[in-house]
Amino acid sequence: MATEGQQHPIKIYFLIWLLLFVFSFFSYLVDYLDLQGNLRWFLIVVFMLLKAGFIVAIFMHMKWERFALIFGILTPPLALVVLMFLMAIESDYAWSTRVVYMGEDPAPKPELPEHMSHKEHGEEIDH
Amino acid sequence: MATVEVPYQETVPLHHPKTWIGKYIFSQDHKIIAVQYGITAMAVGLVALILSEFMRLQIAFPEAGFMAFFTADHYYQAITMHGMIMVIYLLTAFLLGAFGNFCVPLMCGARDMVFPFVNMLSYWVYLLSVIILMISYFVPGGPTGAGWTLYPPQTITPGSPGFDWGIATMLISLAVFIVAFTMGGLNYITTILQARTRGLTLMRMPLTVWGIFIATFLGLIAFPALFVSAVMMLLDKFLGTSFFMPAIVSLGNKLDYSGGQPLLFQHLFWFFGHPEVYIVALPAFGVISDLISVHARKNIFGYRMMVWAIVAIGALSLIVWAHHMYVAGMHPSFGFFFATTTLIIAVPTALKVYNWILTLWRANIRITVPMLFALAFVLTFIVGGITGLFLGNVIIDIPLSDTYFVVAHFHMVMGVSPILAIFGGIYHWYPKLTGRMLNDTIGRIHFYFTFIGTYAIYFPMHYLGFIGVPRRYYETGISEFYPVAAHNLNKFITIAALIVGVSQILFIFNLVHSYFRGKKAPANPWGANSLEWCTPETPPRHGNWEDRLPTVHRWAYDFGVPGEEKDHIPQTVPRRKAS
Amino acid sequence: MTDTTLSTQESIFTSTARDWSSDMTTFKGVPWGKAMMWIFLLSDTFIFTCFLVGYMVMRMTVTQAWPVASEVFALTVWGVSVPLLLIAIMTFILITSSGTMAMAVNMGYQRRKWAVFWLMFATALLGASFVGMQCFEWYKLISEGVRPWHNPMGAPQFGSIFFMVTGFHGLHVSVGVAYLLIVATRVVRGKYDHTNFEIVEITGLYWHFVDLVWVFIFAFFYLW
Repeated sequence: MATEGQQHPIKIYFLIWLLLFVFSFFSYLVDYLDLQGNLRWFLIVVFMLLKAGFIVAIFMHMKWERFALIFGILTPPLALVVLMFLMAIESDYAWSTRVVYMGEDPAPKPELPEHMSHKEHGEEIDH
Repeated sequence: MATVEVPYQETVPLHHPKTWIGKYIFSQDHKIIAVQYGITAMAVGLVALILSEFMRLQIAFPEAGFMAFFTADHYYQAITMHGMIMVIYLLTAFLLGAFGNFCVPLMCGARDMVFPFVNMLSYWVYLLSVIILMISYFVPGGPTGAGWTLYPPQTITPGSPGFDWGIATMLISLAVFIVAFTMGGLNYITTILQARTRGLTLMRMPLTVWGIFIATFLGLIAFPALFVSAVMMLLDKFLGTSFFMPAIVSLGNKLDYSGGQPLLFQHLFWFFGHPEVYIVALPAFGVISDLISVHARKNIFGYRMMVWAIVAIGALSLIVWAHHMYVAGMHPSFGFFFATTTLIIAVPTALKVYNWILTLWRANIRITVPMLFALAFVLTFIVGGITGLFLGNVIIDIPLSDTYFVVAHFHMVMGVSPILAIFGGIYHWYPKLTGRMLNDTIGRIHFYFTFIGTYAIYFPMHYLGFIGVPRRYYETGISEFYPVAAHNLNKFITIAALIVGVSQILFIFNLVHSYFRGKKAPANPWGANSLEWCTPETPPRHGNWEDRLPTVHRWAYDFGVPGEEKDHIPQTVPRRKAS
Repeated sequence: MTDTTLSTQESIFTSTARDWSSDMTTFKGVPWGKAMMWIFLLSDTFIFTCFLVGYMVMRMTVTQAWPVASEVFALTVWGVSVPLLLIAIMTFILITSSGTMAMAVNMGYQRRKWAVFWLMFATALLGASFVGMQCFEWYKLISEGVRPWHNPMGAPQFGSIFFMVTGFHGLHVSVGVAYLLIVATRVVRGKYDHTNFEIVEITGLYWHFVDLVWVFIFAFFYLW
């Protein structure tokens, strides 16, 4: 077994630490500023992937691994991408059948949590 | 700076166990663990075999007095337990637990698995999962009777046998099995990747190891889906969540579920379930490739193609799952996608079959018992594979869904075929494992009973399926759609099944008898090349090798090399310098 | 015998092809435990992704309303309702614990055992406080009437998925805390003196993975 360890200046960890905070803060800001629609989920996904990428690459040292390992670990999750993609299509279809055939409400309004709602008790809608 | 790599296992001392219990019960020796896995899997497989005989008797002689005790609930419980035991607790455990444990370190030239303690734990957790499964026969309501696919909502709604205790034990047992498999599987993969001996490149590994490698990898990434669906179903059942349960009226009562998606379970289940087919098939492919090459005294045809076919099948198997769900009511255009990927996966599979046949072509075939099983495997696999092409197409699948055609197909392709591979493998490696030969005559009798018998069982089922006889029916009765001929055929099948079942006694007798009275086995009775036949002792002792691990100079298939004196050259023999 | 110079000059394709076609080890210079941990994490990725796919399917198929997470998980501080405050703090804590863990790994390779111990101890402490906050969050949600089988704000699947996914993640964190403490004690006791302290890196891999999963849960569950 090779004996040389992973030696990196501490500085890079602080940098990544800081970056993770910044990205978390930004994604928090997305929510705070109440951005909606495509912009919202685009930003959320971008910040999420950036954070995930930095954690895997720097904290988990994948950047310094040989490509043989990187390749071996990062290829199989492609199967999950297929699963996710197909399940999204499937769910969309299932949802539309529920709306079309079962007369469900396509755009129901969420209710506020109890401590924030001004509704009186006993007014809950029975679905 | 250039460093010369040394196998890590050569640099660390091996701790030999001192006590009898340490040697044979809580053993960390991969060979002992393999035997433990094998015996447990066979024992639980016998239970499943007996269940199937009961089912067959019920189908053929529903009126008979001796079947009076066998109620419809018993029948569905038998179906479920038979399927689950055979697929998970016998085939997966045997091919990966027993063959994986035995072959991987020996064929990789390693002393043992990389983490022997975890490996030992794997077996005991597996045993625990089997015990939990068997407990389900003693809980109120008996085991679950939902079919091995455990589709909700019927699995956990009143009306199915074992809908509360039975399903709980089943799901917990599966989760425990997955833990056991993960511990074992991580070991096999790490051993194959990181603990090979000098000179053993991946492309020199015997195909058995390749099959086990990819199958284990598939297991590690497919079992999580089963684990997740088991957890979600347990929550549905016991916490009242509605992951898989839509609003539903059961036996006149509206249940407290709403908004769940039953298809999600089917997708998750088959996202595990289809790779599971290849988890069982790939090690069988590997074993058969080795058996055919060794006993036909000829190098395997297209070794690289065989390896890449295994890899391609493994990769493709992750994106074909919904071909089990054509009639489930999923998105209408999924049929096209999954039929396409399914038919593509037939290409590498067919390639393997061609290569086996081309290996046999003009070979010096020795009809030994392992070879008989290997040849039988190729035949049953072709039949099962071709019916798979039928079922992979949506328009042919829809009328054939839930008929005996499906039963015939999957029993041929992943019931009989892997079992034949297991038998072949046992007859092949038993001499190395125990130092004794299995009795040849009993082996041959066992083979003919098993092979012809299973053909007699499953081949007629195709015809039953074509005339539309549905599967999973407790009793059918006489109707216009169900001619008398079908009843007669069912009787024939049952008799064949009984004969096959009873003939397995021969096999068990052979295993036990030969262990004590068998002929002493030479170190390399079949004249094979791979590393397990090069151990200094037979059976190999703990640690397998001398102080120095073997050095590999060639692939495992140098049979009948022109210009060589011997007809086979073991992997440890250096290559001659080109003159 | 193969010469395994760890050259960084060749292209990644050449090096990968060579590594995969070499003898003895495929992942050059990677200890067994580390290879095993990576493969385990790959397997665990599939578990969490299947949970999250389940979440996606629930979210996309239910026809009842899905609660707005930033309102549900708001905390009222000094009379002001701040959305996702607790989650922000939890994220902060988990990222910080990842940072201390990364430094522990670094100290490990410098063989500074006590530094490793204290950094891992700090990591475990942060992890434990994360679990504590998670408990508080569960408590808050339960007191608002959310149950795995019931949700006063709309789709019952919201409660089911929330408790299941955060519960499973919390279980991972708890196991990680125990794992960290065990390894930290064994490090100072000198159990790993004959090794290169890869065990610290292996533990670190697991811990960072837990953090990684939180990144996805944070994005999909709380922000979406």
